[in-house]
Amino acid sequence: MPTPLKPGAMDDDRYDRSKRVPWLDIESISMARVLMVGAGAIGNEVAKDLVLSGFRKITIVDMDHVVGSNLNRCLFFTEDHVNRRAYKSETIAEGLTRLSHEAEPLAVTRRIEDTDRSVFNDHEIVLGCLDNIAARLHVNSHSYAAGKAYIDGGMDGLVGKVMVSFPPSGACLQCGMNKSHAKVAALRFSCTGKDVVFHEPRLAAEITTTSVISAVMVREALKIVSGKTDLLLSNAFYYDGQRNVSEEIEVPLDPGCPVHSRRD
Amino acid sequence: MRKPFNLAFCPVLAVVFLVLRIKVKNAETGAAVEMELENENTIDEVIESAATFWSKDMGAYVLRKGKKVLRGGSSLSDAGIRAEDVLELIPDPEGG
Repeated sequence: MPTPLKPGAMDDDRYDRSKRVPWLDIESISMARVLMVGAGAIGNEVAKDLVLSGFRKITIVDMDHVVGSNLNRCLFFTEDHVNRRAYKSETIAEGLTRLSHEAEPLAVTRRIEDTDRSVFNDHEIVLGCLDNIAARLHVNSHSYAAGKAYIDGGMDGLVGKVMVSFPPSGACLQCGMNKSHAKVAALRFSCTGKDVVFHEPRLAAEITTTSVISAVMVREALKIVSGKTDLLLSNAFYYDGQRNVSEEIEVPLDPGCPVHSRRD
Repeated sequence: MRKPFNLAFCPVLAVVFLVLRIKVKNAETGAAVEMELENENTIDEVIESAATFWSKDMGAYVLRKGKKVLRGGSSLSDAGIRAEDVLELIPDPEGG
């Protein structure tokens, strides 16, 4: 027998307003396992949007500590975390459980390159919230090999981009890269003969662009989990907050892309 | 009757005709620059020349024609670039 209607019941249901979006599949969203790689500015916003949208099982991979310059754009980080040199992944995981008692975040304080590759098979969707090309290439190729959707977000100042790779169809992140990406990736690493040093660039970053890019990423994840792949971003989404323009630009599949040839 | 003009008899003009003049726009500033290229030049070369011309910070860029990103290793002829085309250089943001 259906549950009897009670006045005001809809205001008690956490997801009542979400359920009014006809295609959102709240049950599938609550069951989906999401891998979030990177827990910086985009990671904070993506994690918040995921949990408020009804995702529960979220694995957060990041090896970094919270620093003071993160505080202009990271919801879950405070000065106390800076003083304690708290891990970003653990701090976000704690914050998510405060947002919703249903959230089941798992923090992994490790580089994604040092994480067992089975982690890609254990999740339905991979969200890339990374800050360098080398890590993006790693996550892109492993997600593709595991046949998992990879949603990548990036930003620089007021400019941002989201790209969705949905194997086996269409282009992957690497298909849209060129020599300038290889040059930047090589520059980030300098070999001193003994060690390889990673040079982290200090890029412009602020919260409004972070929010827009993260929101688009999570919305695409919602479409995938809800089975609305016909609405999915099939190309790259570019956003320029300075000019207030956004558009979808086609990234053609590169027949010479090593990611595709490896899988095919 | 006048004979049709044959390029083969005029190597200087033939070279002139193989040069491709296009315009590249800077998506960040709206500025534009004209470039003289050959069909064999690659998209990577156009990106590097334009980024250097505008003294861009070391970062990743893509070149687009209309609503399509052009593949870096492609030659201009393979990418379907024609004289008078307008391409746009857009930053590919790396930060997270």
